[in-house]
Amino acid sequence: MLKHLNATAMQPARVVILGAGGFVGSTAAHNLRAKGIKTLEVTRDQVDLQHADAASKLTALLQAGDVLLIAAAIAPCKNGEQLLANIQMQHAICEAIKSKNADLTQVVYISSDAVYADDVALANEDSKMQPSSFHGMMHAARELMLKGVCGAVPLAILRPSVLYGFNDPHNGYGPNRFFRLANEEKNITLFGGGEELRDHIYVNDVAEIIAQTMLHRSHGALNVATGQSHSFKEIADKVVKLMAADVVVEATPRQNAITHRHFDITACRQAFPEFRYTTLDAGLALVQKEYVAQQVTV
Amino acid sequence: MGSTITIGYAGMTHLGINYAVAGAGKGFKIIGYDPKPELALELAAGKLPVVEPGLDEALQQRAQLMQFTANVNDLAACDIVYVAPDVATNDNGQSDLTYINELIAKVIPALNPHALLIILAQVPPGFTRKINFAAHRLYYQVETLIFGQALHRAECPERYIVGCANPDMPLDSRLNTYLQAFNCPILPMRYESAELAKIAINCCLVAAVSVANSLGELCENIGADWNEIVPALRLDKRIGEYAYLQTGLGLSGGNLERDLATVVNLAAEYGTDKAVIQSFRDNSSHRRNWPLNKLFDSILLHNPKAKIALWGLTYKENTHSLKNSPAIKLVRDLAGYTIHAFDPVVKALGNIGNVQFYDSAMAALDSADVLVIMTPWSEFKLADLGQIAQRMRNKVIIDPFKVFSAEQVKALNFEYITTGK
Repeated sequence: MLKHLNATAMQPARVVILGAGGFVGSTAAHNLRAKGIKTLEVTRDQVDLQHADAASKLTALLQAGDVLLIAAAIAPCKNGEQLLANIQMQHAICEAIKSKNADLTQVVYISSDAVYADDVALANEDSKMQPSSFHGMMHAARELMLKGVCGAVPLAILRPSVLYGFNDPHNGYGPNRFFRLANEEKNITLFGGGEELRDHIYVNDVAEIIAQTMLHRSHGALNVATGQSHSFKEIADKVVKLMAADVVVEATPRQNAITHRHFDITACRQAFPEFRYTTLDAGLALVQKEYVAQQVTV
Repeated sequence: MGSTITIGYAGMTHLGINYAVAGAGKGFKIIGYDPKPELALELAAGKLPVVEPGLDEALQQRAQLMQFTANVNDLAACDIVYVAPDVATNDNGQSDLTYINELIAKVIPALNPHALLIILAQVPPGFTRKINFAAHRLYYQVETLIFGQALHRAECPERYIVGCANPDMPLDSRLNTYLQAFNCPILPMRYESAELAKIAINCCLVAAVSVANSLGELCENIGADWNEIVPALRLDKRIGEYAYLQTGLGLSGGNLERDLATVVNLAAEYGTDKAVIQSFRDNSSHRRNWPLNKLFDSILLHNPKAKIALWGLTYKENTHSLKNSPAIKLVRDLAGYTIHAFDPVVKALGNIGNVQFYDSAMAALDSADVLVIMTPWSEFKLADLGQIAQRMRNKVIIDPFKVFSAEQVKALNFEYITTGK
């Protein structure tokens, strides 16, 4: 669980965001800026973390008092090649952290609940890390790499569950893909009957937890999940209704056994008692509004 | 009753005091020794540092047979000396044996050359055999202290489990005489078996509690009622009418947690499977979060400024102990909130949380939005629900231990949240 070094919220001097062009990074940057927090938003164009000069470039960017937010990854990580690339990126970041260890006030790493075993039906921060995918293995390894170099610098590891939001560039199975298909008036195909229960988290909530973690200068690990799990079928039906789409939600013959994932979010309630997660209905409605706004703009 | 045998108890702890008073109740002369002079003086004056039903009266009635001292040499008059200290545990439930070792080192030189030394404390298997003392005069005895029932259980034990250097040899006649006065089976066994027997008893209790909590949680989600299931279990001879089947908030008090930690550590040391025992610990940790999550789900999510009243702080009723108390955990978890609290025994918590204490249970309720009952003290069961309803602003009661009946509370339009249904 997270422990706070700031009993009351205090703004960091500056937040350096790696992966600022990505889904989580850009949303976090927007949220931090809205709170009046100074940011340095680093994208691949500025520092290619796979390049040989990445560590030195990054070291040059870091100043005394900085908080470093690491939201840069090739994600989802699907194979060995991507795994190696992600490790290489993290190695460069770790080298920079080592060089600037005395200057950094906090490191925040965006990990994933994929670090847990597939059969952890009720996950909390003490659940065993037993990744079964390249993606989970990548995050687990990167967490360890950071723990090895952060030393006295407070390290917060945030493990979001399944993310959704309007700007998600990925087309993974779930709300984002369902919205795109509904928007394009294409049928939604479920895996089996879409029975699997998952905890879907609105990306703005992740951004707010990131901000709170920085304001309290927290360290430790925290899952970022709502505590409410829903089936893919339920979500697909909700999306179709929200988008008023004339599409069918189709079941397919099941290929894999059904697994469910729930989260015990006690640690989040203990860490941030005043924070309230966006409910699934409210979050999906917000995404739908973005689709409407996009159409109006077009 | 009555005997020429003198029994000593070294360590005037919850355990030592209750066993000493029980011994006097059987007519034995008792010498209670504690290194702290002020404690010995208070006990001699009839002032008890612990809360147990019937203990005050029993101490008064048996005072003539009881002597309390801080002079270890007074134990030289004893035929049998029990060493009965509290063995402290750390946050991981591991025992700190420093004090018991110090106490044993103090007591042994003071004993007369024929006296028996008996270890009456939760110690890890292997502890007793390592003590440098004549093996034929050294025993280990399982203690079965239950806070809130300590005197009754000391006076009416179900059985005595006695660890011996060699269980094939008869028990020393003086020990036999003393134990037979309590009229229960005596089970001699080797030291290590007796030390592990205590742990085995607690593991079985924890298994039953963990089953109740795991299935009770499922009941809360599928519309079943664990209370309807329990009688069916009690009628099963393989489970039994006294099985620990009440739903609750995980393990507390420290002793059960200690034994689980001991098994997990031994399993790691000897390479045996620890998964089942570890899962009991995990389940307990999970279950201890129940009150906080129910508070959030029932009221704090939509009313972050809710006024929270809390009844009960001790880890169970009829005790002063706060060790691993779920109420204390809740108070810590709610550090950002003011808790309006009442407990019949505990009147201050020092630096823990943000607690405002009241003189009565009812006074803590004024304008409260939610009442959380964290210890099932009997006086809470007698509380006037109508008066509670009048005093509270919102009628929400979180009652994990079923102090109230759901039907009564719901009849007064309370939102009632309990475990197991």
